[in-house]
Amino acid sequence: MTQAFEWQPWAFTLATATAWIVIATGLLQIAFYLVQLVYAAIGLAKRPQVVRSSVLWRRYADQAPPIAVLAPAFNEEVTIVESINSLLALHYPEFEVIVINDGSKDGTLQRLIDHFGVARVDRFHELTVAHQPIRGIYANPRLPRLLVVDKENGGKSDALNAGINVARAPLFCSIDADSLLESDALLRTVRPFVDEPDKMVAVGGTIRLANGSRIASGRVENVRLPRNFLALVQIVEYLRAFLMARLALSQMQALTVISGAFGLFRRRLALEVGGYSHNTVGEDMELVIKLHRYMRDHKRPYRIEFIPDPVCWTEAPEDLAVLGRQRARWQRGTLETFSKHKDMLFNPCYGRIGFIGFGQVLVVDVLGPLVEVAGYVLVPLLWAIGLLSIEYLLAFLAITFTFGVFISVATLILEEVELRRFPHARDLAVLTLVSVAENFGYRQLSNFWRLRGLWQYLRKQKGWGQMTRKGFQTA
Amino acid sequence: MTLTHLWTISLLLAALALSIMTGLIVARVIAGQRQRHVQAQRGKLLPLLLGSASDEELTELRRSGPDILGSLVTELIELVRGDERAQFVATATRAGVTSALRRQLASGSTQSRAVAAEVLGNFPDELCTAALEEALDDRDARVRLTSALSLASSDRSPPPRLLVERLGLGIHEHSMLIVTLLSEIARQRPDEVRALIEGDDVPAPVRAAAIEALSNSGDYSLVGVISRLTLAAGDHSPELPRYLRALGAFQHPAALRAIRLHLASPTWWVRAAAAEAAGRIGLAETNLELRQLLDDNDWWVRFRAGEALTRLGESGRTLLAEASRCGTVRAQAAARLTLAEQALAA
Repeated sequence: MTQAFEWQPWAFTLATATAWIVIATGLLQIAFYLVQLVYAAIGLAKRPQVVRSSVLWRRYADQAPPIAVLAPAFNEEVTIVESINSLLALHYPEFEVIVINDGSKDGTLQRLIDHFGVARVDRFHELTVAHQPIRGIYANPRLPRLLVVDKENGGKSDALNAGINVARAPLFCSIDADSLLESDALLRTVRPFVDEPDKMVAVGGTIRLANGSRIASGRVENVRLPRNFLALVQIVEYLRAFLMARLALSQMQALTVISGAFGLFRRRLALEVGGYSHNTVGEDMELVIKLHRYMRDHKRPYRIEFIPDPVCWTEAPEDLAVLGRQRARWQRGTLETFSKHKDMLFNPCYGRIGFIGFGQVLVVDVLGPLVEVAGYVLVPLLWAIGLLSIEYLLAFLAITFTFGVFISVATLILEEVELRRFPHARDLAVLTLVSVAENFGYRQLSNFWRLRGLWQYLRKQKGWGQMTRKGFQTA
Repeated sequence: MTLTHLWTISLLLAALALSIMTGLIVARVIAGQRQRHVQAQRGKLLPLLLGSASDEELTELRRSGPDILGSLVTELIELVRGDERAQFVATATRAGVTSALRRQLASGSTQSRAVAAEVLGNFPDELCTAALEEALDDRDARVRLTSALSLASSDRSPPPRLLVERLGLGIHEHSMLIVTLLSEIARQRPDEVRALIEGDDVPAPVRAAAIEALSNSGDYSLVGVISRLTLAAGDHSPELPRYLRALGAFQHPAALRAIRLHLASPTWWVRAAAAEAAGRIGLAETNLELRQLLDDNDWWVRFRAGEALTRLGESGRTLLAEASRCGTVRAQAAARLTLAEQALAA
């Protein structure tokens, strides 16, 4: 007869403490999400009426300030003409499209020259923010809204800095090479700048995933759900990120990130904070943090807002390897920014951005993945070997699975009650199932990718890694 | 609360969320079926609304329900113009759309109140005017401003002084749409807007908006008033660039003193605005100051100075050509690139 192994009391204490750390961190995250849900609901109820473009134009066109749309391009030979044609067709009173060819190795520049008939010109421009040398600026008098900047390769943030220097409009809109903008995107996003001209510093808009939708002539014509599971999961993730988190943080005036795929900024202030930083892959987040820091340091009243109107479409990776690289890079970018500005964390000088904005980054992005993955390994193990009671295991399951289901489905409820952007009941049913399913497998995988991002950050890995773009499925 | 409660609560919340979502999906299926009926109704109502409906047809319009009719009117009113619009408004009024919109303006959600305020601007009857005037005291600033804009765009606005007080213009409300509001009023009643410029107790942002609203009026008597305000404004006054731009818009040489003073302002955005105004008016007397500004610390001032010099004609271009050959490296670059950009030989 074998005798059961008896653990020392200290082993129980250690196991209990470990479980409590995991559970407390999870509860803190859930508390953040619950508060965000409430704020997002308030924000959606208070949002300006979604009016037709014609009404927007009639009301806002006279007062809408000029905007420079900055479109960085690297090896975009195949898609560049269609992308630029789509941008030139935007519905806005006064704007210029500045395409920055970031030292492409293919024929991107030649395609632009051939198709748009641009020729080399002189242009008096600023040299305020640093970037790789500009080799030439190209324009065509018959297309006064288009300007092509050809520069040596320096990465996306470097290209955007060149664009900020060359632009003359008081506002600039930074987009990704693969962003598809709604035709009235600028008109919708400029509203906060018109409504609060003295305070508004930057505005972000909702990014939606175009996977599965019908696209023609650079426009999303028919919104449909993708068939790929990974793309479906990302739709739910984007809903949580934009509809819940960013809208809520904007309501609290603690928004820490405006997506690199679409953001509208006051150009002068971007210059004053030194433009985009070169030494990070989270340059979009870092610019927003620098703006917060600058305005708070100078004690100037300001607002950084997020509008729930969908303004931009992008392509989500449908392949595990590509998605994993993207998520690791995002995590690395967040950690780089957090580390660079860590003095803002819980610093009273930075008010709610230090406490709420950075507090959320600490709990959700820095500690969250680490503690949760540790929990996946330790809590079931400690329970299996008899060091933890079943209550601890159930509490862990609650914070990692069932609360996750609740938060995802609640965001979907918010979407349906306030926005109704998915056209068919079937879409809602599919997304509801995905909201449940994502907590069993995908969530764990996502945390693993984020840990990989942490590892890359600790090893001081730089650069974007291999970028794979499938391209939009056009009609 | 024990740890077991955490598990129970999470299960309950997840189940609740899933139940609500199921309910919403069912509601969507039902709404989808109703939508087909609504579309069919809309298809029938559209020609009635656009034509001159008979009494029988009006009865059918009313019977269709205020929701369908209201949404149809809200969507279409922006699309019709001229006589067709007048016909559309008359038919919609007879069909009782305005009473539904007035109710919506009085007691709907913030969004629906704002939509009602927008649409009611197209209906000129007294009841609609009264409803919009009442909405100037709405609890939401956006509804208040939309109501004011609707009244102003149909020449029914209360005196601008009253709007300043009721909407807290320049104090609580800082939207650039104040300029649009005052421009609309100034189309019919410019004197009332002008009174805002001359009133001592008017908030400075409203005064600047009134100046902008009248800057294309061609009323040159305003140049002296704006010049005085410009001379009196502090170097860091946020309204100063707006005054200077208005002076530039009038293109009257009487603004010389005010502009010259601010070409030497310690504030970069004031210098830039003054240089721009000097160029627009064509103040050749300021060419030496502008030449100096080609070496300004701020790029924007250098750019505006170069641009202004090209507008001064031969004398300005000569100065630019000189500056491109001699002077600091910064001024040379500004002058050379300005000339190159304007396709003028150095």
